[in-house]
Amino acid sequence: MSIPIIYVILRSLFAGAERWLRLLDQRIPELLWNTLSLTAAVTVFTVVVGVALAWIVSRTDIPGRKAWQWLLALPLVIPPYIGAATYISALGRSGPVRELWQGSALLVNLFGDYPLNLISFWGVFFVLSLFTFPYVYLVAGASLRKMNRNYEEAARSLGLNAWQIFWKVTLPFLRPAMGAGAVLVSLYVLSDFGAVTMLRYVTFTAAIYFQRAGFDTASASVLSLVLMLLTLAVLGIESLTGKKSKYYQTAGTYREPATVNLGRWKLPALFFVGCVFFFSVLLPLGILAYWGSLGVRMGALDQRFFAFAFNSLKVSSFAALLCMLSAMPVIYLKSRYPSAISSMIDRLAYAGYALPGVIVALGFIFVFNNHLPVLYRTFYMIALAFVVRFLPQAMQAGEASLSLISPRIDEAARSLGCPPWQVMFKVILPNMLPGALAGGALVFVSSLKELPVSLMLRPPGFDTLAVRVYFEAQEAAYHLAAPAALLLIFVSLIPLRYLLSKY
Amino acid sequence: MSAIELIDVTKTYAGTAAPAVQNLNLCLEKGAIISLLGPSGCGKSTTLRLIAGFERAEKGTIVLDGKIVSDENTWIPPEKRGVGMVFQDYALFPHLDVFNNIGFGYRGKDLKERVREVIALVNLQGYEKRYPGELSGGQQQRVALARALARRPVVVLLDEPFSNLDADLRGLMRREVSRIIKAAGATAVLVTHDQKDALAISDRIVVINGGVVEQVGTPREIYQFPETSFVATFVGQANILDGFLDGNGHVVTAIGLFPCRHTHGLPPGSPVKISVRPDSLELAKEGEIKGVIAETVYGGDTVEAVLELRDNQFRPCRLLVHLHPEEKIKVGEKASFKVLPDFVAVIKR
Amino acid sequence: MIINISIMLLQLIKEAFTLLMKRKGNVFTLALTILLAAALFFGGCGGNQTRQALPAGDAAAPGDTAALPETGRLVVYSSRNEKFVQSLLDKFEADTGIAVEALHGANPMQLVEEAQNVRADILISNDFGALGYLDRQGLLQGANPRGIESIPPLFRADDNAYFALSLRARGLIYNKDLISYAAMPKSNEDLFEARWAEVPGGYAITRGGNAGMIGHVSALRYQWGDEKTAAWIAAISTNAAGIYEGHGDIRKAVGRGEHAFGLVNNYYFHQQLMEPKHNNVGFIYLDQGEGQMGAIANAAGVGLVRGGPNPGSALVFLEWLLLPENQVMFVGESLELLINSQYGAAYPPAVAPHVVDFKDLKIQEMSLKELGNYFEDTKALIEASGLALTLK
Repeated sequence: MSIPIIYVILRSLFAGAERWLRLLDQRIPELLWNTLSLTAAVTVFTVVVGVALAWIVSRTDIPGRKAWQWLLALPLVIPPYIGAATYISALGRSGPVRELWQGSALLVNLFGDYPLNLISFWGVFFVLSLFTFPYVYLVAGASLRKMNRNYEEAARSLGLNAWQIFWKVTLPFLRPAMGAGAVLVSLYVLSDFGAVTMLRYVTFTAAIYFQRAGFDTASASVLSLVLMLLTLAVLGIESLTGKKSKYYQTAGTYREPATVNLGRWKLPALFFVGCVFFFSVLLPLGILAYWGSLGVRMGALDQRFFAFAFNSLKVSSFAALLCMLSAMPVIYLKSRYPSAISSMIDRLAYAGYALPGVIVALGFIFVFNNHLPVLYRTFYMIALAFVVRFLPQAMQAGEASLSLISPRIDEAARSLGCPPWQVMFKVILPNMLPGALAGGALVFVSSLKELPVSLMLRPPGFDTLAVRVYFEAQEAAYHLAAPAALLLIFVSLIPLRYLLSKY
Repeated sequence: MSAIELIDVTKTYAGTAAPAVQNLNLCLEKGAIISLLGPSGCGKSTTLRLIAGFERAEKGTIVLDGKIVSDENTWIPPEKRGVGMVFQDYALFPHLDVFNNIGFGYRGKDLKERVREVIALVNLQGYEKRYPGELSGGQQQRVALARALARRPVVVLLDEPFSNLDADLRGLMRREVSRIIKAAGATAVLVTHDQKDALAISDRIVVINGGVVEQVGTPREIYQFPETSFVATFVGQANILDGFLDGNGHVVTAIGLFPCRHTHGLPPGSPVKISVRPDSLELAKEGEIKGVIAETVYGGDTVEAVLELRDNQFRPCRLLVHLHPEEKIKVGEKASFKVLPDFVAVIKR
Repeated sequence: MIINISIMLLQLIKEAFTLLMKRKGNVFTLALTILLAAALFFGGCGGNQTRQALPAGDAAAPGDTAALPETGRLVVYSSRNEKFVQSLLDKFEADTGIAVEALHGANPMQLVEEAQNVRADILISNDFGALGYLDRQGLLQGANPRGIESIPPLFRADDNAYFALSLRARGLIYNKDLISYAAMPKSNEDLFEARWAEVPGGYAITRGGNAGMIGHVSALRYQWGDEKTAAWIAAISTNAAGIYEGHGDIRKAVGRGEHAFGLVNNYYFHQQLMEPKHNNVGFIYLDQGEGQMGAIANAAGVGLVRGGPNPGSALVFLEWLLLPENQVMFVGESLELLINSQYGAAYPPAVAPHVVDFKDLKIQEMSLKELGNYFEDTKALIEASGLALTLK
C-alpha cells in the first residue's frame, strides 16, 4: 500500500540536483506561499464560521434550530470542484451576473467595472471555505452537544454573564474540537485539486498535476515530496496540540446544556445562518438545477452520459467491495489479536487517507506501468487507488460495529462448540455486516466524487462522471456538466442522512 | 470421579511478572455448585478461563471428566471441551433470537425439543422470538444459562453471574440459578467476588487470593472456621488476635481468655492466631472484655461498633463488635462483652 | 509516520455508525447488499478486456488489412480538443462497428512513458512536431494505408508513420474596439518591443507547455537560433499581461476586451467570429512582409503507434480517415484549414469571408517534418528562458 508513496519519494530523490535547485529557487517558494496562505486563510475562516454556526444552532433559541442543524451539514455533499464550477458559471467572466452588471450603466458608473474576480486568491478562498466549513461545524457541534451543563452553571454561579461564559468556558472547552476541525480543513485544502484548478489557482496539487500532464514526472515527484512534508507537518501540529488539550468530562449524569435567549440578536443570527446556507447550498444547487434542466432539454442524458455513469458505478462499487473485503480482516485482527503488524497496517491505511490524491495517482502510475503492466490503465488500477485513499472510511465503520461485539461473544461461540473459522462466519460476520456495508457505502460515495485519481489514471474510454463534470466545466459546457454533478450530489446525500441521524 | 481436577496449574500473562495463578490444585466433585471466591485480580477468573480453554496454562494439568484437556503435551480447544460458559455480560449473540441463541451449539437431531425443554427449565416460555436487546437483565441471564446448559455440558462455568443485576433481582436470581442447575443435574463452577453470592448458592467454596487457594470448604466451614486471616477478613468481618492454647479449649490472648472449639488438634501451649467474629462478642454486664465504645455505625439490623480497650500490658487495642439495634449505647460509654464460642476459630496463618 | 492521530471526522462517522448498528434490518443495508452484489458482478465482467471481435464494416475493409487480426476495438489517444475529435470517432464507430476507446487530453509523452507497455493504437495530435518526435523515438510505425497519396509528401512521414490533415498558422487575434490594425505588431520581431505591454489590457500568450507555443518556438529556433529565440521568449513572458492555459481562454478574453490582442492559431480567430457576442475581432498573420520569414505554420494529424493492441483496427481507421468526407470531418468545428482544401471544408457564413487559404499566405519555409527534431530541446529552452511550461 505504501509502495506507490515510496516510489514517489525515490523518484523525487533521484530527480537530480539541478532540477531540485531550479524548483527550490523558482517554483517551490511561490507554491509554498500560494498553498500555505490559502490553507491558513481558509482554515482560520472556517474555524470561526464553523464554531459560530455550531454555537448558534446548538445553543441558542434560533427559530428552526433542529432543521438548521442538519441543513448546515449539507455543503459536505457538494464536492468543491462542482461548487467552484457553479460559481464560475454564474459569477465568472462570461457569467450572466457580469453581463447584467456591465449592461447596467448605473452600476458601472457608480461602482466601476464588474468587481468580482473569481479567478483569484479570494475566489478560491471563498469557494473552498463555503464547502469545507461543515468539517468544523460538525466536530464543534458534536462537542457542544456533549458538553455538560454543569460547567456553564458553575461559571454562572461564579458570577459570569452569558458572553463571558462563551469566552471563558465554552470556547476553551471547544479547543480540541476546533483543532481537529482545523486539521481536517487544512488537510482538505492541501489535497484539493478540483476547485483550485477550476479557479486557475496553482497550489502544490495543481502544480503536480500540470507537471505530470506535461510529463515532467521528475519535477512532479519533487513537488509531491514537498507536499507530503507539508501534510506531515499539519498532522504533526495536530498530534502535538492534541495531547496538551484533552479535557475530561466529569462523571455523573449528563444534563443538556441550557439554551441562550438571543433576544434582539435573533434576526442578525438568522440572517447569518441563512446567508451561509444560501451561498453554500441553495445558490449552487439552484444554478445546477438551471443548467441541469437546460442540459436535459438539450439531450445531455444521452447514451454517453449513461456510459459514464456506468463507469462511475463500476469503479466505485468495485472499490467499495475491495475496501470492505480488506477492511474486515484488518480490523478483526487489530481488535482480537493486536500486534505490531496489525497496528502498522492500521497506520499505513490512515497515511493513504491524509495524502493528496495526485500523489497517490503519481505513485500508482510508476508502480503499475513498470511492475504491473497487466493492470496498468485498467479500471482496476483506479479502484485500487481508491482503496488506498478511502480504506480508513471502511475501517472506521467496521470497527464501530466490531466494537459492539465483545470478545466474550467469540468465546461464547467457542465454548458452544464452534472452531474459530465458524465463529468468524456464524457470529462475527453477521454482526459486522451492517457496519461493513455502511463503510462500503461511504467508500462508494467518496469514490464516486473523487477527481484527481480518476483523472490521472483513467484508461482510454473510461471517463467517470466526476471526470466529465471537470472537463465539461473546464470547457464552460455547464449544461453538460450539471446533470452529472446533480447525480453525484444526490447519491452523496444517502450516507449523509445516516451520518446525521446521530446529530 | 471428580468433574474437574487442576494439578499444579500456573499461568502468567504476557507482560506481567507475577503469575495470575500459581501452583493451583483443585479437585471439584460432580453434581455440585462450587464458587471460586476472592477479590478482583486474585486469579479466580483466570482459573475459570483456564478450565474453559480460553487461556493456556504454562505449567500443570487440567482434567475434565477424567480426560486431560491441558498439560505440557495436550491441548484441547474450548469448542471440544464440552464446557458451558455463562459470561458476566452474558455475551448473547445480538443477531439471533432467544430460540436460536439457546440452540446455537446444540448438534443433536432433537434440537427443537431440547431447546423447548431448556426454555421451560429457565421459565422463558413465550420469549423464543425475542432478540437479546429486547430482554431485561434477569431474562438475559436465563438465556445465557439455558444456552450453556442446552448441550448438557460436563460443567457449567459462570463468570460473576450476578454482578450486572440490581440488588433485589440478585436475590431472586441466586435462588433461580441454584434451582436451575440442580434441576438440570449439572456441575457448576461460578466465580464471584461477592461473599453473599458464594455463601448463598454454593455447595462448596474455594477462596482464592494472590493466585493461590486459601481454603476450600462448605459455606458454613468457610464462615465459621476460617483457616487463614485472609479468609477470616474477606468472608465476613473478623478481629484477628494472637495467643496460645491452654489445653482446655481456650486461647489465652493479651485481652483475655477466648473459648475455642476448632483448634486443628494443636498441642497445648502452641502459639496461634484466632479469628473472632464481631457477632461472637455479646454485650453482657458480667463480660470479661471491658472497654469504651469509640465509634458506632447504625446499619438497620445491626449496629457496628468499635470497642477501645487496653491489653494486659496497657497497650491500646480495638475490637469490632456488633450490637443489637435496640441497645442504646452512646460513644464514650463503658461497655463489657462476653465471648460466644461458636464463631471463634484458630487460623493456620 | 506519525499518523496515529484521531482524525475526528472519521471518529464522527464511527459514532454515527455505532448508532446505526443498533438498528436491525434497515432498508439501507438491504439496498447496499444489492449494490455490492452488483459490484461483484461488474468486477467479474470488467476483467473481460478482449471482447469478441465485431465484424468490421465490409465497405471499409480493404485488401491489406485482412492479414492483421481484427479485434473490433481501437484505442485512440488524442491531444486535440475533445469536442472536435469525439464526433469524428462517433462517426467512425457508426461506419465500421469498431468500438473506440478514447483518451482525450492525452499528452504525446504518454506514449514515451508507455513504450514498454503500449496501450494506444492511434495518436491524434495538434502538434506535428510531437508526431515527428515520437517517430524519431521509434514509437510510431510506418504503414501504407489506401488513400495516403492524397496527402502531399510535405505533410507526411516518409514511411507514412504519421501524416497531417489540417493546417493552422500562428498569429495575433486582436480586439477591434481596443486597437486598430495599423497599431498592431506585424511580425515576431515586433514582439521584442516593450511598448506592447502598454496597449489597453496588454496582450496574452499561452503557458510554455502548450503544443502551439512549442511549435512556434521550434520554428523560431530554426529561423533565428537559440540565443535570439530565448531573448524573444523572455521578452514576451515579461511583457504579456496574461498567461493562459490554452488558446480558447485567450480568444475569449480578447473578445471580451480584457486584452488588446493575443498570440493564437488562426482558427481561434475563426471560432471567436462564431460567438454571438464579443466577436469584433481581427487577425494578423505575422511576418507577411517583404523579406520576412512568413507565418509559422503547424499541422494537426495522426500517428500509427508501434506495437499497439489493435493494429488491424488502426489501419482501418487510417484508411477511413483518408476518405475525403472524413478529412473534412477531421477539421469539423475546429475551423482549421484543410490541407486538401479542394475537398471543400464548409465554413459558416460568419467565418468564410475571413478564411485565408494557405496558398495566399507567405508560410515559413521550414518543413513541418523538421519540427520533431526540435520538440524535446524546445521545452527546455522555453522553461530556461523564463516562461513556465505550466500555469503558475
